[in-house]
Parts: sequence; C-alpha cells; structure tokens
Amino acid sequence: MKRLLTATALTALMVAPAFATDLNVAAANVSSYLDPGRDHSNVGSQFYFNTFDPLIHKDYSTAEARWIPGLATEWTLIDDTTMELKLREGVTFQNGEAMTADDVVFSLNRMYQATFAPYQVRSRDRLENFAGAEKVDEYTIRIMAKRAEPLWETLLNLQQVFIIPEDYTKGLTGDPMVAEDSDYEAFSLAPVGTGPYAVSEFVPGQKLVWTRFNGFWGDKAPLDSVTVTRVPEIASRLTALKTGEVDMITNVAPDQLALVASEPDMHAEGSATALFHVMIMNMNHPKLKDARIRQAMSLAIDRDALDEALWLGKAIVPSTHTMKEFGALYMPDLKTFEYDPEKAKALLDEAGYDGFEITFDTDGVYYTNGLLAAQAIQEMWAEVGINSRIDVDPKWTGNDPEMMARNWSNPMYFADPFGSFGVMWAPGGPSQSEGRFNTDEAYAASWDRFRYSSDVDTRRSAYAELMDRIQQDPPVLPLYQPYESWAMRTGVTWVPQAGHIPYVLDFRAGAITVDASN
Amino acid sequence: MAAIESSLSPNWTMALRSLWADATPVQRFALILGVVLVLLAVASPLIAPFDPNGQSLLSRLRPPLGFERAKPGYLLGTDELGRDMLSRCLYGLRLTLTLAALGSVIGLCIGGTLGVLAGVAGGRTDTAIMAAVDTQIAVPFTLIAIFLLTILGHSIEVMVFVLALDGWEKYARILRGETRKLMQMPFIEAARAAGATPLRIARHHLLPNLMSPIVVQFTLSFSNIILLESTLSFLGLGVQPPTATLGAMVGAGRDYMPTQPWIVIAPAVLILIVTFAVQTLGDWLRDRADVRLRPR
Amino acid sequence: MLRYTAITLLRMLITFFVIVTLVFFATRLSGNPIDFVIGQGITEDDRVLLTKYYGLDGSLWTQYLSFLRAFTDGQFGLSFLERRPVAVIVAERIWPSTQLLLTSIALTMIVSIPAGILAAIYRKGWVGSAVMTFAFLGYAVPNFVLAIFMVLVFAYVLNWLPVVGNGTALHFIMPTLTLSAGLIAALTRFTRNAMLDVLGQDYMRTARAKGLPESLVILKHGLRNASITVLSVLGLQVAATAAAGSVVVESIFAWPGIGDMLVRAAVNRDYPVLQFGVLTVAIAVITINTVVDLAYAWADPRLRQAGRA
Repeated sequence: MKRLLTATALTALMVAPAFATDLNVAAANVSSYLDPGRDHSNVGSQFYFNTFDPLIHKDYSTAEARWIPGLATEWTLIDDTTMELKLREGVTFQNGEAMTADDVVFSLNRMYQATFAPYQVRSRDRLENFAGAEKVDEYTIRIMAKRAEPLWETLLNLQQVFIIPEDYTKGLTGDPMVAEDSDYEAFSLAPVGTGPYAVSEFVPGQKLVWTRFNGFWGDKAPLDSVTVTRVPEIASRLTALKTGEVDMITNVAPDQLALVASEPDMHAEGSATALFHVMIMNMNHPKLKDARIRQAMSLAIDRDALDEALWLGKAIVPSTHTMKEFGALYMPDLKTFEYDPEKAKALLDEAGYDGFEITFDTDGVYYTNGLLAAQAIQEMWAEVGINSRIDVDPKWTGNDPEMMARNWSNPMYFADPFGSFGVMWAPGGPSQSEGRFNTDEAYAASWDRFRYSSDVDTRRSAYAELMDRIQQDPPVLPLYQPYESWAMRTGVTWVPQAGHIPYVLDFRAGAITVDASN
Repeated sequence: MAAIESSLSPNWTMALRSLWADATPVQRFALILGVVLVLLAVASPLIAPFDPNGQSLLSRLRPPLGFERAKPGYLLGTDELGRDMLSRCLYGLRLTLTLAALGSVIGLCIGGTLGVLAGVAGGRTDTAIMAAVDTQIAVPFTLIAIFLLTILGHSIEVMVFVLALDGWEKYARILRGETRKLMQMPFIEAARAAGATPLRIARHHLLPNLMSPIVVQFTLSFSNIILLESTLSFLGLGVQPPTATLGAMVGAGRDYMPTQPWIVIAPAVLILIVTFAVQTLGDWLRDRADVRLRPR
Repeated sequence: MLRYTAITLLRMLITFFVIVTLVFFATRLSGNPIDFVIGQGITEDDRVLLTKYYGLDGSLWTQYLSFLRAFTDGQFGLSFLERRPVAVIVAERIWPSTQLLLTSIALTMIVSIPAGILAAIYRKGWVGSAVMTFAFLGYAVPNFVLAIFMVLVFAYVLNWLPVVGNGTALHFIMPTLTLSAGLIAALTRFTRNAMLDVLGQDYMRTARAKGLPESLVILKHGLRNASITVLSVLGLQVAATAAAGSVVVESIFAWPGIGDMLVRAAVNRDYPVLQFGVLTVAIAVITINTVVDLAYAWADPRLRQAGRA
C-alpha cells in the first residue's frame, strides 16, 4: 500500500507536478454493472456522468433547461419527425478510438431498436417514440421519431443515449462485427465513453476508480483520479471521513447532519432531490377497490409533520405530482394531495371501513428514512382509525395482487413530468401492467395530449386532468422530495447541481475543487 | 447425582437454601438479577410508563433525564420516532426473553433427542442424523433465515422457529459426542449387560451425566439467540417494526451510535445483563451438576 | 483409520450434493429474481423478456440440470446482477475472508486456551472470575455494537486505526477483534469446563499422587484430554463464523469478503452467485469439520478403535 502510494506520487510528480489531486469517496452503494443504457437505478446514476457524454448537454448548474452542445454541435428539425445533428469532430473515446457517426448511430439504435432484453425494457418506457438513427456522412446523423416529438433535446440528453464506441463494444466477445448480448454484458464490466474520466478499475458492487482522460474534448478533468469504495454503514462512512481515509461520503441522513456541522474539518452539502418518495396503493386489491378508502389513506398522512420530524423541514412536500425541475410544467397551484384527517374519517365511515388490516410494505434500508416514515404513517393512520401492519422485506411487491400499500420512489429520469410521473403512470406503463393501477380511454387521451402536444399550455391542462383523475381514484401519494446530503472534508468544494437527475456525482471541470494541500 | 436430585425434589425451600449457601457472591447477584429481569419482563405492561409504540414525532431523539434537552417523564429518553425508550426496553426485554426461552427450549428438544438418539443407536440412524447436522452447519445460517422468512412470512411464530433452528444442531452434535463417550464407559456397559432397556439407560445413566453439557449449551444458546435476533435485525430481517425486541432496538438504532448513543446503549446493556445472569447461573448449575466437582 | 477416513470423505460428498440441491430448490421457492434484480415497475412483456434473458423460463427440472451443468464449466454460471462468471466473483472475495478467519482463529486460540485453563485452575479465585467476566463480555454484546463502538473510539475519536477495507496490517485489528470476541468467549468457557471435567478424573489424581509437578500434570494429561472437547467446539464455532458471523464485520469495515457477497446475493436472489457461494462456504466448513473429526479421532483412541458411522 505504502509502496503503491509512493509510486503514484512519483508518477504524479513527473506528469503534473503542480496539481496532483486524488479524491477518495465512500459511497453507501456501488453499482453491480456500469452501462448507462440499461441502468436507471439511483445507485447507478451516480457514476455515468463522469465517463460518458450525450449528444446534447445542458447547463447543469440550473434546473432550467438550457441546452448546450455535447457530442453534437448543432441540431435542426428537418421535418416534424426527423432531426439532423452535426457531430463534434476530433472527439476520441477513452480507449483511443475516434468517435464517428457510426458510433453514434450504433449507440442510439442499441436503444431505439433494442435487441438486448435489458435495453428493450429501458427503451420501452421513455424512448418508445424513436424509430431509429442513420448516418448521413462521417459527422452527420439523422434521428427519426414516430410522431412529432416535443421533447427532442430532453430525450437526447438522457443517460440511456450516452454515446459508446461501436468497434470496441462489438469486439468484446464473439464475432467482432456483430453486437451480441454478451458484448453488452462485457461492456458493463469495462465501460468506455468520451467523458473526462476513464473507468480504470471496476470491481462490481465494491469499488470504482476513475482516472483523468487527457484526450477529453472539453475542459480537462480537475482530478487525477477518484476512487469510490462501498462502505454501507453510515457510522463507518462518517468515521472514514473524520480519519481522513476518504475525502467525501454519500448518503448522510438528516439526523447525522448536526454531527457533521459540529466537526470543524468537515462540511455537508445537500439538496431536495429531484425524486419523490411515494406511497403506492393497489386499486385492484379487493379490499381497496373503493376509492374512498384510498383517499382516506392519503388524507390521513400529515406529510408536513413527516418533513418536520424526519427531514428537519428540509424536504419538499408537493401539492401535486410536480417539482420545480419541470420548468414550464411545474404546477404548484394544483392541489391534488392534502392532509385532512376529519375528511379521512368521514370517507372511511361512508365507505363502511370495518377495521380490516392494511399492510404497508417497505424495504428496510433502501429509502432514507423509509422505515421511519412507514412507522409514522402507521401511527397517523391509527389516528383516523385505520388498522395497519408493516411488512419489511427487500422484495419488490408492487406486482403482487396481495399488495395493499407500499413505499416506492418516482425519480425524475429527465426534467419533464414525462420523466417522472409519465414514466411510472402512463397508460399501459409499469404501474398498470403490474396490476395496481387502471386507466381508461379518457385517461389515455389526456395522457396522449400531455405527452405529445407541442403546445405548453395544452400539456399543462392535460397534466391537470391527469392529476384530477389521480385525486379521484388515487393510486399514489407523493410524500416528499427527500433532502439528500453528502459530506466532505474542508478543502473539498462540491455541491449537488440542480440540473442533474438525482444522485449524480459530477466531478467535471467547474463542478468540484479540491485544495491540493492535503 | 445427589445435587440434581435434591434440586429437583419437591422440597424447594431446602434445595434453594442449599443452593444459596453454596453460591459465591457473584452467583447470588446473578440469581437476584435473573429474578428481577423475569419479574420486569412479566410486569412490563403494568410498569411501562408509556405505550411502547406511541410516537411523538416532535420530540424525537431526546436524551435520558439529566441531560440537556431531556423530556420530563422520559427516564431513558426517546428514540428515533419519539417513543419512550424505557417502555420499549421493558417490552423489548419481555419479547426477547420469550423468544430466547422458546427458541432454546425447542432447539434443545429437537437437538437433544436427535443427538442422544444418534449416540445410542449408532449405525444408519447416526449417519442420517449427522448428515442433517453437517448440512445445517455448512450452510450460513443467515441465508437459511432469509429463505425461511421469505417463504413462511415474517410473523413472530416463524421467528421463534428460525431462532430454534439455529441451535438444534449444536445440541445434537455435542450430545451425540458425549453420549458416545459415555456409551464406552464401564458402568453403562454393565447396565447393558444387566439387560437395561435403552430408555432406562438414557434416563438413569446418560441424562444425569449429560446435564453438564446440556446446561452449558443451553445458556450459550440462550444468549446466542438474543444475539442472533439482533444480527437478523442488523440485516433487516428481525421482528417487524414497530414491535420492540432488544435486538431490533439495537439493530435499528446503530445508525445513531455516533450521534444519539443512548438509543443503542440502553438495550445493549440489557442484553449484557441478561447474558451475564444466564451464563453465570449456567456455570453455577453446571458446576453443581458435575458430581466430580462437589466439595470433597 | 483408513476406513474411517474414507467414510468421512464419502459423507462429505453426500452433504455437498444435499446442500447444492436444497439451495437450488429453496431459492426457487423463495421468489422470482426478476422481482429483485430489475424489480420495480416493469411491464408484463418486459418480465417475460427478462425471465428468458436470465434463463429462468425453463421448467424447474431443466433449470436444475443446467444448474448442475454449470458446475462442470469452471465458471459456475453468470451472476444475474453483474453478468460475469461466478467463479471470478467468489475468487475475488475468498482470500480476504480467509485472511480474516485465520487471524481470528489465531487470536482466539492464543487467548482462550490459556485463559480457559487459568479459569479452571483458579475456579474459586479472582483470576477465574476475572477471566470468565471478560469471556462473558465478548459473548454478551452484539458484535456490530462492539464493532461500531470500536470504530467510534479507535478511529473517530482517537484516529489510531483505519476503518475502510483490508489494505494494511492495521486494517486487520478491529475486524479481527470483532470476529474473535464471540469465539474467544465461547472457547474460553468450553476450555474451562473441559479442564474442570478432566481435573476431577482419577488419572489426574493418580498423576498427582505420583508426585509429578502440577503444571506438568495439567499440561500433559489435562490439556490432552480436554482438547477433545475443545477441538470439537472450535470446529463448530469456526464453522459458524465462516458461515455467518462475518457479514456484520464485512459490512461495517467495508471488507470485501464472502459473507457480504452471500447475503447480498440472497437478498437480491442472484441465484448463481448464491448457489456457488453457499457451496464454497460449505466446502470450507465441511473441510474444517472433517479435519476436526479426524483430529478428534486421533486425540481419542477409543473412538478411533471403535470406528464411526
């Protein structure tokens, strides 16, 4: 270890004598694989942005959608359903290959025309509208949509369509001319992109090392290397930060923030994350078919009290399924969800609730404060006369017909209500096909206008119609946008940026500074 | 054997007096402690000042009385949901003792029977029983627990069964070994030669001599089960919240050790006291049960 | 002795097969891995797709056969989650676990055998009480409480010891202590009790009567005879630790070991990893126990002559 450190230090001295900076991060979780295409987990989202680029970047410092050139330098709609993009020249992948139109078409079509099952799954819920991409010349491509697309830039900024190298990927296993499933599997263990940091070591579920990629097309990475290690226990993460073993830690619960604040040599940064912790209710459970029971379950929950008690008031309690990251479609005036225990009691009476037991399923650790919130909800339900039992199990029960209520999260996969509510609650989407949510033609019609209209006001009013339906026959209650925190030693300056999807560890130029004194 | 017979005889006062006279101060202390713990557990619904599951979200994480920010009336402070620590400790103690007692008794019944059977019968019976024992030992118990709890559900009954299952193979293995050793002894061979039935041999010759390992294993198993339950809670597999057991309180509270340590200290100290009492009493009984160590 | 060894080995093989089969069916009974691996919010079509992708679409029997076949290709199948050979994953973690187990066993033997003998000899004195009090402490505190307590004291407050990983010798101190605490407690008690049993035996009195020095009597006769019980307990305890005790230590000290891998595989229903992981641990445990059994037989000639099973 010592020798290794010396060797690294020597190399650093020879290469970049002035600014040798290495960052050690202790994360609560490290991914089991690294492939931005198939992944949309909260754990995985941490790791892709440093290594990969999309065609269209955005200004990540703001929640507003300010698009800026990424691997494409310009993009124009040539008709309702076709976009032509000029690609940036002189971009190289971290393995030395030059990026061309072939790589871009390959990356896009691996999703748009997916043959690999995990890609098909991810593609279906958000990229359904894209027919394919084709090469025009070495640095020009076209993307064809099936219907007029209001969200072109948003959907080209997605993690799923980050660009990967074609020849490298195809050559990983088997026939180097063909993209086999096993190529994608191999890729997820040795990923290569165009971003400022190359993945130089990856032990799934355990450790990830990034090294600065000197051939990066944009501003050079500020750090020489970053090592992320999985340290699941919060006490151990805090201690490792205190002893100086690591410079930064993830997933600091609100209850630990006072400790961090009391230590002179560390500080915490956090934000209300673009993600809802939600409670889902099974519309089709025989005992919950009556919408009034589910309305009561929802009305009985004092979300502000949860925020005050568990999140120190730092979470955001929404009045409807909306968050300010949605830009023009942020609709805080809608009042879809509220706290009204008296009304809850009345509804229970009306519905003839006989005190049957409602089970609330929760994972023990996955959601910060999830288990505490579940127990608090149980108590709040008891206040209005709802009898409940908590069932802690890491198993996903959202597709179990016996499931009555459970916690879940609705992350913002991209900055539009389609990227949050829209992915989860689309007609025929995951919630419906898991059998706990029903839609009809009217709902589908509203959804279609919300999804495809090019007029913002039409989209807003359609979204309001959807929220109205959710209120009348509720399948979900967004509890809050949790306040997530990171802690770091003094000398490391980093904040979670509002323009990112949740949990991204952005270590690109401008996003982090580390004083080299340490 | 006199010791056992006297302590099991109906003449309780005599037996107790002789026990007490023979005990060291530590053993006397442990005995008193054990009695107090059992009384507390039994009486917990009567003496607990609050509902153990009653929350008060606005006064979470208050320290025990005497510290800054303490909440009047809450002797041991409040936990992460503002519940009274003292009440939860009392109810937790009650359930923990119940789980441990049931678990170790069931484990003893299963394991003891199989172990002695294997030792006495030998041959195929022995092979089969020991194969089962080997299998159980070789598979990480946490995994067995995960599967049983998933397949059978998370009820308290299943929990008792899971906890008992962790101990039986230890009884079986140890008692089989001891039985085999005893079976070679001259006095058993003599009894067999005299035509005693296996049952009679087991009752009159084996059991008294097996008391020592049984008692030791029982006390170990008792504390083991308490610890196992806390480990299951650490892994998120313990009793379902909001139910309090000492293990569940320690398991769920561990994240607060750097900041609000009383949440873990109170139940951990109780676990310590229970274990101390059980093991000290176990050692004592064992020494008394062992005829060779009687004062000569 | 040869026959005894052969029978022991045969028993080992049968146990392996039973375990492998049990694990296979237990995993299948306990839920569809799709619910854990990909889990939340996928459509029915996608479920079908993924079920096929993970090779879970055949009948139970086909799956069982292909599972058994996986043992012959040297890879033992692909992890559902990581999509790399299970053999590689297990290999990555086996050495850190073994290291930790070895240091813990060493520490346990060094501490608890002398301590147990002392406690037996000075049964009524303060030495005996002191030893037993410490032994009991190791047994009475949940190991994760002990571990986090040590982390807070020796790392957070004092900054003497590192917390994360297995990089240096210093990294071994706290995990070894945590893992050994329970072992030391158990073994000290058993050593004490075994010694007590032996001390009361006639041959000890005879030896003393012959005028041999007390310490020699204890070491030669006492330890020899007590070792039978001690060995069997050590085997059991080590097996239990190898099998289960390490997961807590591994998650607190971010130790890349096999316990953590197994529990995560079980929770996520990563069958291939789980199956081969369990088998690996089983092999380790059964090997330890077999060695102990053989040693047992060696230490106790009566058993050896009688033959077993």
